[in-house]
Amino acid sequence: MPQTQNGLMERRIAEILIQELKLENVTPDTFDVTTDLVKELGIDSMDLTTVVLVLQGEYKVKFDEDNYPSLTTVRAIAEQIRQLQGTVS
Amino acid sequence: MNLDVLAAAPANTAPAATSGTFADIVKLPDIAARFAKVRRYFFLRESTYDMTRRCNVRCDGCYYYEGDKQNAQDNLDPEAWRKLFQAEKARGITFVVLAGAEPALVPDLLEACSAEIPLGAIASNGLIHISSEVGYRIHISVWGNDATSERVRRAKRMLERQIEIYAGDPRAVFVYTFTRENIAEARGVVENLARHGCKVTFNMFSATVGYQGSLSHTPTSLAETRQAMLSLLADYPEQVLFSPYSAAAHTDTLSLHDLYSCPYPRQNQGQFGLGRSFRQYRSDLTWIREAACCVPDTDCADCRHYAAGSAIVTARMNRHIGSPDQFRAWLDYVDTYLAVWVQGYAKEPNLCAVPIAPALARQTGAAR
Repeated sequence: MPQTQNGLMERRIAEILIQELKLENVTPDTFDVTTDLVKELGIDSMDLTTVVLVLQGEYKVKFDEDNYPSLTTVRAIAEQIRQLQGTVS
Repeated sequence: MNLDVLAAAPANTAPAATSGTFADIVKLPDIAARFAKVRRYFFLRESTYDMTRRCNVRCDGCYYYEGDKQNAQDNLDPEAWRKLFQAEKARGITFVVLAGAEPALVPDLLEACSAEIPLGAIASNGLIHISSEVGYRIHISVWGNDATSERVRRAKRMLERQIEIYAGDPRAVFVYTFTRENIAEARGVVENLARHGCKVTFNMFSATVGYQGSLSHTPTSLAETRQAMLSLLADYPEQVLFSPYSAAAHTDTLSLHDLYSCPYPRQNQGQFGLGRSFRQYRSDLTWIREAACCVPDTDCADCRHYAAGSAIVTARMNRHIGSPDQFRAWLDYVDTYLAVWVQGYAKEPNLCAVPIAPALARQTGAAR
C-alpha cells in the first residue's frame, strides 16, 4: 500500500528529527508532517544538514545541497527521498 | 608532522574510501564527543555591522575603504543602535561581528550593542582599549612586525602597543594576516605574542576588487604560508588557535568560494542558512542584500579571509563526511572557529593528524 509506505517513511523521518534535534513535547505519532521546520520550529540550517546526512545513510540516497532549502517539511523530505529512490509514480 | 604532505597534495586527490555512513562516523568516540561539543553552538546566527567610517590608521588594502560603504554617514545615537539590535535579536540573530572602520572609536555604541546581544566579536586594530563592559571577543589585527606595520599601516610601534593594551585580556585574539610580503616575519611575531601569553590565529590577505598592490598572494606564497602556519601551530599549540585543515583550506590555490561555494547573500540569494539570515549593516544602519558578505568588496576569486572561512567551511559539513578523518578535519575547523570567535569557548586539541586536501570537499559538492 503506497499510502502506508509513505506514512511509515514520514513517521521514521519524524522520529529521526526528534532524536537528532532533541525535540520535546512531540512524538513521531503527533508530529505534524506539514510543519515548516525552519519557519515554525526554528530549525537551524546546520541542524537540518545533520538530519539530511542521517537520512542519506538510512535511505541510501544523496541529496543535492542545492535542494536543501526545499526540505522544509517532513512531507517534503519524504517526497524527495522517494524521488531519489525512483519510487514516485 | 610531515609539513610537506599538504603542500604536495595534488588538486584532484581521490576521496578516501567511505567508512560507513554519517551516522556511523558520528558514533566514533572521539568524533562523538567533539561533535556534541560544537553542535551546541549550531544556534549561532551571525550578522555584521560597520560601526563608524572613522579609523585611526590607514592600511594598504583595507577592505573598509573600498566600494561605497565608506560613504555611509555615521549614526552615533546609541539608542538607534540599541533598537537595531533589538530588532536583530527578534529576527533570530544570536552572534554579531562589529567591524569597520575602527569600532573602538565608538565605545558607547559597543556597550549599547553588547547589552542587547551578548555574543559577538569586534574587529579592531587594538590601539585603543575597549571597555571590559563589552564582553565580546576582540580580534586585533596584526599585519607583520613593527617595521612592516609602520610601512603598510602607517602606525609606529603597533605590535608593541597592541600587546601593552591587550596582553592578559581574555577577550583578545591576535589575528596575524599573512600577505605575500610578511611570511618570514610571522615566526618572530608569534614568538613575541606567545611570550606575552597572547592567543593568536591566522588570516590571509584577500584582495579587494581591483586591488593591484603587492600584498596579494601567489601560488608560491600560498605554499610558503601553509608551511609557516603548520610550523607555528606545531611549535605553539597552546597559543595558536588553528588546525591543519584551516591551513589547508585557507592556502589552497582556489579561493574559499571556488572550493566550497560561498553561502553569503552576495553569492547566495537563496532562502537557506546565511542566505536567509545574514545582513551586513553599514554605519548608517542600512544594508544591501546584493553586497552582503562578511568582508564586503573582497574579490571572491581571491577570498581566503578567516572570517569568510568561519562561515563558508563550517556551513559545508555535508561535504566532509567521506571518511572519519575528513570529518575530524571539519570538526577541528569548527572547533578553531568557535575558539576564535566565541568568548569563553576553549579550543580542544586537534583531532585530525592527517592533512586533508580541501579538494575532497570540492569534489563532494561537485553536483552543484
